[in-house]
Amino acid sequence: MTTVHQFVPALLPRDATGDHTLALRDTFRNAGWTSNIYVEAAHDELLTEATYFEEYPDHAQPGDVLLYQLSTASPVADFLLGRPETLVLDYHNITPASFYEGWEENTAEKVALARRQMAELAPRAMLGIADSAFNAAELRAFGCPETEVVPILTDIDAWASRHLVDAAEAARLKESHRTGARLLFVGRLSPNKNQHLLVEMLWLYRRWYDPEARLALVGPAITGTYARAVMEYAEELGLSGAVDHGENLTPTQLAAWYSDADVFVCLSDHEGFCIPLLEAMHFDLPIVAFAAGAVPETLGQAGILIDSKRPSLVAAAVHRVRGDGSLAEHLAEEGHQRLDAFGVAATRARFIEVVGGLEADRAVSA
Amino acid sequence: MPASTPSEPTAAPSATEPTSSVAPEEPLSPKPDELDAAGRAEYLAEVMAEIDAEVRHRRASGDLPAGLERELDELFLEFSPVGLQGKARLRENLALVDGAAYVDIAVPVKSQKKIGVYIKRLIRKSLNWYLGFIVHQVVKFAWAVSRMFHLVVDHIEDLEATVESLRIPELPATAVPVTDPGTSWWADQALAAVLGARGRVLHAECGNGSLVSRFIANGVDAYGVDPVETTIEPAIERGLDVRAEAALDHLEVVAEEALAGIVLSGSVQWLHPNERDRLIALASSRLAVGGVLVLHSATPEAWRRSTSPLVADLAPGRPLHADTWTHVLAAYGLSRTALHTGGEDRRLDRLATSNTDATTINAAIDTVNDLLLGPGEYLLVAVRDR
Repeated sequence: MTTVHQFVPALLPRDATGDHTLALRDTFRNAGWTSNIYVEAAHDELLTEATYFEEYPDHAQPGDVLLYQLSTASPVADFLLGRPETLVLDYHNITPASFYEGWEENTAEKVALARRQMAELAPRAMLGIADSAFNAAELRAFGCPETEVVPILTDIDAWASRHLVDAAEAARLKESHRTGARLLFVGRLSPNKNQHLLVEMLWLYRRWYDPEARLALVGPAITGTYARAVMEYAEELGLSGAVDHGENLTPTQLAAWYSDADVFVCLSDHEGFCIPLLEAMHFDLPIVAFAAGAVPETLGQAGILIDSKRPSLVAAAVHRVRGDGSLAEHLAEEGHQRLDAFGVAATRARFIEVVGGLEADRAVSA
Repeated sequence: MPASTPSEPTAAPSATEPTSSVAPEEPLSPKPDELDAAGRAEYLAEVMAEIDAEVRHRRASGDLPAGLERELDELFLEFSPVGLQGKARLRENLALVDGAAYVDIAVPVKSQKKIGVYIKRLIRKSLNWYLGFIVHQVVKFAWAVSRMFHLVVDHIEDLEATVESLRIPELPATAVPVTDPGTSWWADQALAAVLGARGRVLHAECGNGSLVSRFIANGVDAYGVDPVETTIEPAIERGLDVRAEAALDHLEVVAEEALAGIVLSGSVQWLHPNERDRLIALASSRLAVGGVLVLHSATPEAWRRSTSPLVADLAPGRPLHADTWTHVLAAYGLSRTALHTGGEDRRLDRLATSNTDATTINAAIDTVNDLLLGPGEYLLVAVRDR
């Protein structure tokens, strides 16, 4: 029987990597495989789902495949380097340290360490799985001998059904503004996400097209210095009342923020996949996004892909998608087709095919 | 509006009355299932072209003064620690080190309950001898580190002062002649190099935009940037997509592999070596694989004999030989495919062979021609092949 155990630094609820790990474990088990999750830390809600990673040697069996969910620095990486079992990496991207330098040296050091660990793990892995071609290229650049692209397991329909919008949050948001466009970006406040450029764009957009327009930035302020700078910048530009920050939202509250928005705008410099693009598609939001990292391949033709972050171009693109109902409808249709490409059933089958193929390869080489 | 807010656009749009725009016509947008993949891509490309046209319209109407977007970026830097450069950043961080170097062992004893205060006081008193010993050593170490940082910063400031005293004055923009690249000898070769490019072609430093015009007239989707606002005014009046930006600033914000071609001319040839390397690295990464880089430069010989004294003396760098450029470009995955020479040519005529001393004199003339008087400029074409 095939045995694939997953290792993940932290197993958290309502977290993309956490949800993916749990869904993948279930996928493997449904295929009749043995699969457990080993972690450095787990949230209280998920303690029963995981085992501390250093306990794995007590459970190790010949033929085990160890699959590492690689997205941050962790002692789990060093532990896996010392294990003799077949190693598979599932790579979700690590933001390069250069984005944090000058903002938060601690974070810069942590991601630099994560990349050093990746450089050690990649040549050692028998297979690298990446959720985008962009991530696969990074894995290969780090010496991973073989890579496959398989999307992240994210069941958008189950996660954010329209019926699960938090009504109270939706009413509160509606009350906070009456007219004007509502522009949205979802992602942690971090220098590589360029929220300050969204503020610049809002400033110009209000001057040119819609003085009542507002910007919603949803995501944890993990890089505190950057988050403060963005908010102070907004205040300096006279936009403090027009920029809302949402964090620690439940899934249904987040659904309310999506439902409340008119346009989703993404100006990130570095995205390994960008799940919020899929969420925006689910909510029929027209998307304007800067073509960087994995954004073009995740977005496909379901949005306006721009090749520059200049606020003038972004503002004009937002104006266009907001003012052209027919275009918005076209993009929404494209979005639905795009979501089908990331369908959970097909992705589950692809994981079984890719990891199962590895098992077959091992049998042949043996 | 705060004083430091970027300058108001000329004929600034009112805060309550948004200015008119190129209104999106209510188009008959096709449904995705009515089109094949190519048709859908074409439709989005048309939309994108209309968005570009809207920005050009805004720029031409004065809604987007040249330099406004750069001012916005600079304003944000004031709020960021990365924006504090050099001395200010060092001193600010040094102050943080100094502030953190003192460790207070007088733990607060406040409590909501009276008994809590007594207990905390008791714990503090009983542990003072122990913590005091540890903290004394920690503080001693911290002050030693802080002192060392002060010495390092003082030393850096001395070095900066020395470097500053060696700095040559900045070259005034007015000293650089306005170029009309569309009528230059190399315009045809540049056009031939980018003709048929499948994507946008950037002309950095585009001068009056005449080459951008020629490109567009020949079906190339071209636009330009130039750092001198007054130079590009005629181009903006003609409705061209030409922006007042330095090539480096512009390429920083362009997505990777987004351009089908880049034409570099003007002051690119005399950039400081560090900036030149940065520019080529950026240009290479912004070009799609198979994209074309066209570079115009004076030859080093012509630079010495023909450039105005102000430019020759104050330019931060010097033009390179074509072969050196070929070497530099190759390091960034760009292979030379063509080299054209032209411009001022002062070569001396050779003597007729009937002259008895022709062989000797012609050899000397050839040497002088090669070393000093050959073609004054060249145009190098390279392709990104990886």
